Amino acid sequence: MKTGIFICHCGHNIKHTVDVKKLSNFFKKYPGVTVSNDYPFVCSEPGQDMISESIEKQGLDRVIIASCTPSLHGELFKDLLKKSDLNPFLLRRVSIREHCSWVGDDIEINTEKARRLILAGLYSAAHYVPLEEKRVEVTKSALIIGGGVSGLSAADFLSKMGMQVYLVEKEAELGGHVKNLKNIWPARKDGKSIIDEMIEELAGRENVEIFASTTISGFEGFFGNYEVTLDTLEGEKKLTAGGVIIAIGFSPFDPRIKPELQYGKDKRIITTLEFEHNADTLQLPEKPRVAILHCVGSRDEQIGKPYCSRVCCINALRVGEAIKDKYKDSYVESFYMDVRAHPRGGEEYFEDTQEKGVLFTRANVAEINPSLTGIVIRGEDTLFGEIFEREFDLVVLSIGMSPPVDNKLTASLLKITLDKDKFFMEAHIKLRPFDTAVKGIFIAGSCSGPKDVEESINHGRASAVKLFGFLNLGYAYVDPFISYVDPKRCSGCRMCEQACVAKAIKYDEEKRVVHVEEAACMGCGLCNATCPSSAISLKGYIDCMIDDEISAFMEAI
Amino acid sequence: MLQDKAEKNPEIIGFACSYCTFKASEMAGSLRMKYPDGVKLVQVPCSSRVDPAFVIKAIFEGADGVFVAGCHPGDCHFIKGNYFTRRKIAALKEMFDAFSMNDKLRLFWVSAAEARRFVEKVTGMYNEIKERKNVRKEN
Repeated sequence: MKTGIFICHCGHNIKHTVDVKKLSNFFKKYPGVTVSNDYPFVCSEPGQDMISESIEKQGLDRVIIASCTPSLHGELFKDLLKKSDLNPFLLRRVSIREHCSWVGDDIEINTEKARRLILAGLYSAAHYVPLEEKRVEVTKSALIIGGGVSGLSAADFLSKMGMQVYLVEKEAELGGHVKNLKNIWPARKDGKSIIDEMIEELAGRENVEIFASTTISGFEGFFGNYEVTLDTLEGEKKLTAGGVIIAIGFSPFDPRIKPELQYGKDKRIITTLEFEHNADTLQLPEKPRVAILHCVGSRDEQIGKPYCSRVCCINALRVGEAIKDKYKDSYVESFYMDVRAHPRGGEEYFEDTQEKGVLFTRANVAEINPSLTGIVIRGEDTLFGEIFEREFDLVVLSIGMSPPVDNKLTASLLKITLDKDKFFMEAHIKLRPFDTAVKGIFIAGSCSGPKDVEESINHGRASAVKLFGFLNLGYAYVDPFISYVDPKRCSGCRMCEQACVAKAIKYDEEKRVVHVEEAACMGCGLCNATCPSSAISLKGYIDCMIDDEISAFMEAI
Repeated sequence: MLQDKAEKNPEIIGFACSYCTFKASEMAGSLRMKYPDGVKLVQVPCSSRVDPAFVIKAIFEGADGVFVAGCHPGDCHFIKGNYFTRRKIAALKEMFDAFSMNDKLRLFWVSAAEARRFVEKVTGMYNEIKERKNVRKEN
């Protein structure tokens, strides 16, 4: 066996706390190791060239790359092996960055841990065999869950590119929260008109099917052919979708969770959304005194919402501006923690609003007490360090975004993950912000974290582009990690048949052994662990690989 | 010196599901969270892939503790693999109990987002085993 070990410095990320030179020297002398090198960035082009050159010159038949975690650059190194005419499943990635150099500080201890990790990889890779990736046909259709701005923009792109689009909306009408907004900043457009424009675009297209008042009741299958059951008004409907975009948006924060705000007990305390709806019908005196509270339901650890909702500062500014425009002599005071007018032009808008006469007080509001003459706000001015108490005619709560109400249901149905704030989690926060951990399922819009209208539209379109890239190929390769049965060892006890969740194991009455139906096998390895005669093995994770990995960890080889 | 260290610090082998716990451990690393070097992970496609024989093998080879970690009940990517794991590990624990080794085996659920929980769980297990181990040594 000719194994090549390549240890990455990852700049200083690994080198800083792991003695890479010592490691590569150690493995140079190790039996079965032909090449052992360390390199500043293995993923760089010269780094890749080094590996392919070694494969060709030394005739390597196993490649071990000790670098970042396997899910990063996975495809890159697989392609590298393919180019060098080596089966990509003879590659072993050892994570010595996320699982070693970044989790400890002591260079001596880390080097020892990295050595054991690479050793485990080496022994496990010894059992690797070349595998063939399975090719599956992909249905050129997409299911989009949620008909808000991001869902609509995704549907627009995908249908324009000729994909069949199924757009599912829980409510009777498309448009989500945006359709209720008036005067969207900075376009100064009505939300309804934006939505109508988008729907009009879609309406003429034959390859768009819209299901309103519909929820999803069943979801099965794998990338390329997801079997979806819809619960429509007319009854159940089944369809096949190649990929999925989740764009179920957000829920407005319910201020009742904070009882000190007295929301719902007095009709003079309203949210920014309610202000938006009823701006024209509000009963206010000629010189109204209006308080605007920022960060209601955002940046609040006590209620488990430590994140910034990003849109509410601009919303608060819009409320202040609207009141100042309507009532010249009004007294408008904004109580803020920090003003984060982050979108383009936001800072200027903040200054404009100040010039119009909206007062900004950096304060923590402690309580709100409605009385007959007005609403008394008590709080602390955090710049002056003083307690204040002021009376207002109207209090507007600038509420933040909370995760969508259906988040848990959708997550468990589609088998995807929620992050700590209960929004949908992306596969990688920087490198793969639209993907989920499941192939072919994407997230778009504010269901993956607070976003404004512009960002949601962009996010929807970006997810659609990514999904289009997958669907347009028409086929996909799936990992060949499926089970196989050694008929000589199979005793026909049929325990695996009962255990298999995917019903991929079939019993042959004549031969009295079982076999695995490859297309149905999901590759969980449950049958492998169940089989009492060790007749079933999961390719890529066979027993002796894991056994040797354990032994190498414990240095009992 | 190194010999001394190796004797006192426990070695823990963890079986981590690719879809959740392994992802959480990646995230813990990215967030530069610290946990003991004695914790080493074996990546498995699903926690149900863990044959009880692996656990026993790890103990035989000298591991001071073994944990199996998978997705929260109901969240399994393979629909219900983790329910099988739960039953398997429960049976195994009963067997371990007969040898008073119950503390050596643990099963817990960590989702892909719960990097902090992962670190808390493994550090907690490590510290408990370390404490017990050192007490035994003194006697």
